[in-house]
Amino acid sequence: MALDDEPRLGCGRSIDRIWTTIDQPLNAHEQTCRQCQAARAQLKRLNEATQALREADLHDEALTPRSGVKTAIMDVARAEIRRSKRILLASNGNGTTEISEQALSSVIRAAAAEVPGIHARRCHIEISSATSDSSVDDPPSGQSGVIGPHLVIGLRSAVAPDINIPRTVQLLRQRIITAIPAGIGISAGTINITVEDLYDV
Amino acid sequence: MSENPLQSQLITSKLIASLAARTTLETPGVLRLEPTVKGFLARLGPAALQRLSNSAGQNGTYRDDGVRVTINDNVAVVHLDIATDIAYTALNVAETVQQRVRGNIGHTGLTVGKVDISILAIEPPPPAKIS
Repeated sequence: MALDDEPRLGCGRSIDRIWTTIDQPLNAHEQTCRQCQAARAQLKRLNEATQALREADLHDEALTPRSGVKTAIMDVARAEIRRSKRILLASNGNGTTEISEQALSSVIRAAAAEVPGIHARRCHIEISSATSDSSVDDPPSGQSGVIGPHLVIGLRSAVAPDINIPRTVQLLRQRIITAIPAGIGISAGTINITVEDLYDV
Repeated sequence: MSENPLQSQLITSKLIASLAARTTLETPGVLRLEPTVKGFLARLGPAALQRLSNSAGQNGTYRDDGVRVTINDNVAVVHLDIATDIAYTALNVAETVQQRVRGNIGHTGLTVGKVDISILAIEPPPPAKIS
């Protein structure tokens, strides 16, 4: 026989069940059971008292978090997200240096923000192969001394309706090719830009 | 009575973590060390932190905001989570941090193992406050 630790009334009904249905109308059994009715009356007073306490706590200044607590919580949450996907930049006997995808994306977005008529949307970054020497497949012009992982960047964007799309996308690509070595210290690799939408100016 | 001196550990992982954190924050181009849940609870108060396991782990590991230090057999291994200024080249900043942290920990007499850096954010610096 299984042990049953649930507190029960003399009629066999669980007190927990009465508590969970305290806001609902009486069922057929409870309409005639004096024990259930007495328990409901007592639990209703408890329910009202706990509700009053919860309301009081909401407006109690002593229980209000200090200013900055919410900001700190959000800072921690954002940092935890940044910790998710990371890309190895360099490794030697002294240790490794890696970068989060979010940090890399922020440099790309900052570069895109400088190009009028185009808005960066989703940015996805993959590594095609880690390179430890200068034999990068497709080094950007003028950046032959910059090495690192070969990035494959997929950037989705929206453009203003009145721009020259090929020219603007090429300008964006050049900005990214300049921004990544300057901001991060590695080659930009392959940059695939998709124009997926128009936006209203 | 043995002539061998007693082994005592004066340099703790907490001390090395503090040294590494300070060195990192003094490096040009570093905006901050990235916060962790444990670091946040530590700021809330000891009671909140006590609900978690000890910050100084049993295996000689200490964790605080953006820094994790393990000392084993007199070798200190460091991991740092940093945010860098977008005006600087992040990889150069990380290498400078690595060199400075290695140098400063080396002065304590400990052997410096790997110093791993994670760049978690690249941002413009916060606007200067007008006093």
